Amino acid sequence: MAYDSASLDKPLETLKAFDWGGDVAAFEPIDAAVIAVHADPAARADLEKRLSALLTAGTSRAAKEYVCRKLSVIGTAASVPTLAALLPDTENSHMARFALERINAAEAGAALRQALGTVQGDLKIGMISSLAGRGDTACIPMLAALLAGDSRTAVAAADALGRIHTPEAVQALTAAGGTSDQAVAAAIVDARLACAESLLKQGKRSEATAIYKSLADAAAAGTTPAAKSTRLAAARGILACLDTTSPS
Amino acid sequence: MRLFSTQVLAIVTLACLPFSLSQTTAAADAGPQNAVQMTIDFLTRDDANLRAIGLERVRYGLKGQESTQQLAGLLPRLAPARQLELTAALSDRGDRAALPALLALLQSSSDATVRATAVQAVGVLGNASEVAVLTKSLGAADPEKSAARRGLAVVRGAEATALIAAAAKQGDAELRSTLIDVLADRRAVTALPDMVTAAVADDATVRTAAMRAIGKFGGPDQIVGMVKGVLKAAAGGERDDAERALVTVCTQNPRHEQSAAIFIEQFKSADDQTRELLLPALGRVGGAGAIAIVDGLIADTNAAKRKLGLTALSKWPDATVSDRLLDLLGKAQDPDERELLLGALIRIAPLPDNKLNNQQKLELLQKTMTLCTGDEDRRRVLERANAIRLVETLRFVAPYLDDPNLAEPACLSVVELAHHRNLRDSNKEEFTKALDKVLETTKNEELVDRANRYKQGQTWERKKPAGS
Repeated sequence: MAYDSASLDKPLETLKAFDWGGDVAAFEPIDAAVIAVHADPAARADLEKRLSALLTAGTSRAAKEYVCRKLSVIGTAASVPTLAALLPDTENSHMARFALERINAAEAGAALRQALGTVQGDLKIGMISSLAGRGDTACIPMLAALLAGDSRTAVAAADALGRIHTPEAVQALTAAGGTSDQAVAAAIVDARLACAESLLKQGKRSEATAIYKSLADAAAAGTTPAAKSTRLAAARGILACLDTTSPS
Repeated sequence: MRLFSTQVLAIVTLACLPFSLSQTTAAADAGPQNAVQMTIDFLTRDDANLRAIGLERVRYGLKGQESTQQLAGLLPRLAPARQLELTAALSDRGDRAALPALLALLQSSSDATVRATAVQAVGVLGNASEVAVLTKSLGAADPEKSAARRGLAVVRGAEATALIAAAAKQGDAELRSTLIDVLADRRAVTALPDMVTAAVADDATVRTAAMRAIGKFGGPDQIVGMVKGVLKAAAGGERDDAERALVTVCTQNPRHEQSAAIFIEQFKSADDQTRELLLPALGRVGGAGAIAIVDGLIADTNAAKRKLGLTALSKWPDATVSDRLLDLLGKAQDPDERELLLGALIRIAPLPDNKLNNQQKLELLQKTMTLCTGDEDRRRVLERANAIRLVETLRFVAPYLDDPNLAEPACLSVVELAHHRNLRDSNKEEFTKALDKVLETTKNEELVDRANRYKQGQTWERKKPAGS
């Protein structure tokens, strides 16, 4: 089906006042347009512009959520400023991240990093999660710094570094050193194990072994269940690293 | 691997140190030098988590026959409980290189569970070469015997099938019947001619197993032999089973229409005595060819032949004969004949696959109800009604809640219908009213409990039959 911008006038107008539980059938032309613009850059830009325009004040929260879902599919760098403006907004931040996390443009990552430096609390944890979802390596120094911050943020940062699992992320986690906060310590261990597993999958056995060995060393004297779990995970990892006969 | 060898000693020591100081010292002294040795070390530990890590490696890692042999070589050194773990893991590993060690374990172990696990592993990994040892284990007591049966069912290769089929031709009846069951589990098409031969064997156990096996995957080529099997079967349970197998081939298995046609030809060409024996099966097979024969018998002036025809008709597998049954029932004078025909209608009407839709099923059952002359028959109708999941069925059954002689079967059917949430929820008011009436009426505690639950939108779990 060809894209017809004019046919969206009424659905887009209806969308402004849409609330959850309302009839979504009215938006079928928009859903169809999202599919139709797939291989048509000009049409896609037009649709993106019209949808982005609905993210400003005056539209309902449900409408913004709907728009963010569509922009997560067709969005480009052009949508980033509008979406970025929603990041500090408690009500709409998560849906803006939903879109930005999926938009394949460096500007989306930059917007999330920018917000990471300014928002606080749950919103900050959300930024960390979305940056990890993007596999954003540029944020690693910021995440490394957050490992020393408040407990919840540090746990999220450790988890994110584990998900990014590049050598720089490994380095940041290794450099974090000891912490008296058990939740953060556990998150760092989990993240390092995730990095080691990723390295092993890439065939980087010696690098993975180094992480497992370091974890085993650190947990060697521990008597807590967490220490025992770490030793077991490290032992399993070391054995997997030694087994060069099997796919990583 | 050598790259790691020096490092490994240190790593393993570090990794293992905290689990037990004495074990650690032992591990360090033993000096595991590669992944296989480290795995073996883990498999000998008391710590179940460490063993799990080792077993994971046995199952999915350490590729190669040499590793398999090294790992399997640990079996004699382990306690029975550990032998079980490793045997199961080696079986999952799927490498035949473990077979010599598993066979040696089977030779040496007197632990019944270990032997059973070893036998099953031999089946999983083995081929024709292992058929003899598995067959020998069929002579043991359970659990080894059951494991051997499962092992023979999965042992690989056409040659293995041929050896099992050959073994099934000799020996005692119990062994033969077990091997025939194994061949059936293997869907051993090549063994079907042998099974046909076994279907007329002197021993009833062998005959029964053979007919059961052919029933699972036999086809037109086996019908002549199956008919002989039905005729050879002793009256009663064995013949019922044999008939059931023949009917399955003629109504469900691939090319069943062709099988049914051959059966009908066999029936037509048989003498009167043989026909009499085959009639119940003919009725169960059903179909146009069979109905012509049955109609002929029913129309016969000979009372015995008419009775045979009616008996066959009463066993029909679907509702295509419902009009005939209704017609015959309307005209029947003989009480036995009426009973037979009425029973057939009550049975056929709600059958799940009787070629009628639910509305038609209910109409047939309602017609049948009008032909009932006694409460016992009406009770059966009411009990069968709940198989037809319609709100109209509820409306048919509900008035009988007021009849003291029929209230209990009506209560049962109301509750059974209410069991189906979609039906109940979409007709909530009617069901609530009927369930209230059930609560006032029934003396059955289980029905009271169920009715209360359904009224509150709760579920009820049907008790499983004993032994299931």
